[in-house]
Amino acid sequence: MAIPSLNLLLQSILSGIFIGGMYAMTGLGLGLAWGLLRQINLAHFGFVFLSAYLCYQMSTVGGIDPLLTVFVLPPAFFCVGVAMQWVLSRFRISAFNSLLVTFGVTVMIESGIQYVWTADFRKMQSVYAEEKFVVGGLFVPLPEFLTLAVAVALSFAIWAAMRFTDLGKAMRAMAEDAPIAAAFGINERGLSLALSGICVALASVAGICFALTFTLTPTQIFSWVGVVFAVVMLGGLGSALGPLVSGIVIGVSEAVAMALFAPSWAPIVSFSLLILMLLFRPGKA
Amino acid sequence: MLEVENLRVAYGAATALWDVSLKVGKGELVCVVGPNGAGKTTLIGTLAGLNRASSGRMVLDGNDVTRLAPHRFCAAGIAIVPESRRLFTGMTVLENLELGSFLPAARERRRETLEQVCELFPAVRQKLAMPAGSLSGGQQQMVAIGRALMARPRLLLLDEPSLGLAPSIVMDMFDSIRRINAEGLTVLLVEQNVSMAMALATRAYVLEEGRIVMDGSAGDLIRRPEIRKAYLGLEEG
Repeated sequence: MAIPSLNLLLQSILSGIFIGGMYAMTGLGLGLAWGLLRQINLAHFGFVFLSAYLCYQMSTVGGIDPLLTVFVLPPAFFCVGVAMQWVLSRFRISAFNSLLVTFGVTVMIESGIQYVWTADFRKMQSVYAEEKFVVGGLFVPLPEFLTLAVAVALSFAIWAAMRFTDLGKAMRAMAEDAPIAAAFGINERGLSLALSGICVALASVAGICFALTFTLTPTQIFSWVGVVFAVVMLGGLGSALGPLVSGIVIGVSEAVAMALFAPSWAPIVSFSLLILMLLFRPGKA
Repeated sequence: MLEVENLRVAYGAATALWDVSLKVGKGELVCVVGPNGAGKTTLIGTLAGLNRASSGRMVLDGNDVTRLAPHRFCAAGIAIVPESRRLFTGMTVLENLELGSFLPAARERRRETLEQVCELFPAVRQKLAMPAGSLSGGQQQMVAIGRALMARPRLLLLDEPSLGLAPSIVMDMFDSIRRINAEGLTVLLVEQNVSMAMALATRAYVLEEGRIVMDGSAGDLIRRPEIRKAYLGLEEG
């Protein structure tokens, strides 16, 4: 074990916080849909990548500022989420079966992406990509910083909405006892459709952040599933702030493990954390 | 106010209610008694939109509510206090009460109704910020009744409010129900505690194996030998 310099360690922790922001952004919609709608949406990852590729396309070919795709992609993906929940509830698909169905959807999305954009690596060239600033001797890359800021802002906004608005409370009530919530006038069907739409729109926002930061390749879809599942379960299903906290915890532990040991240690750290949590706080996941 | 005609409810092939008819007049306190498994919870659940009727009619103030979507029953003026309370246990007492007044008409009068609920159940006022799941059974029952009152219903449905409560608390609970009714709210109560329910109600129905087998004024029914024998364990003497 090589002891890294303090500066390198701090830089690792910072990049861990940033990757944690990406985990949180990806896990936010997944965990909400899982906890509140009993929908285990593996297609969430497919939607993240599809949105990332569409952002890439609009920016690289269409010449649009990638940040402006926020006005197009999330609303479009909202509609996809509504349609998906409509199908899942129309055919009364259980939580476990939703996992299988959405796995199929993800494979289809992956093939579609491969067909349209090929398996080549794609990196969006934008004015933001190479932008960095230095704070106290540490490099802060702009795309990562933006991702973290968006993840923090959206997590807190959703937390506040769930806690302080009638609709947010209605969603929590519906998740706990849907028939009784309906007996007090809460329209379960309408609310579920809207919530599913919001969760897929969040996937789309994550996709835009992804395109800003990472090089895209279709097979990468599945490499994110494991760690983001760990983040979501560690943070608590249906929780808005949970994925943010657990995302940063896992991101930082991975980054420190990589700096102290070797890059291959990263997944061991995140899954050890998950297993420890399941052992000591069972029922919370 | 409420007229139920030939209501039939089935779960798949199993019929739980066979052509049940009953009436509840404005301002009345009516109870439905019967043994376990007679279909009492099915009956009250159907009236609240929790179960679907397979045939028959339910009319509230002249409006047919039989085919309404489940979430429309509350707007029609019906609120339920379900069996074993079914509070949103992960949420605070206040949030539970607020959800009772989710619909716009009730929301407009939320503060006023909340004040009335706290006057009726002073113990609830101290607990507003607590998670509903942390309360005792009796307090949870008060919150469940409070949640239903927050909807400002015209008909209050109560499913076994005495279930699982200590006898002294049951007395308080029935006293509160009497006061709610005395203030003008129409109440339909389903109970296994026959003597308490009959003492409270103006009229009663006896439900056995999914059928209404007897009905009449509560005072008359409680004197009938078959009721005394089957429900109160008293022999003629």
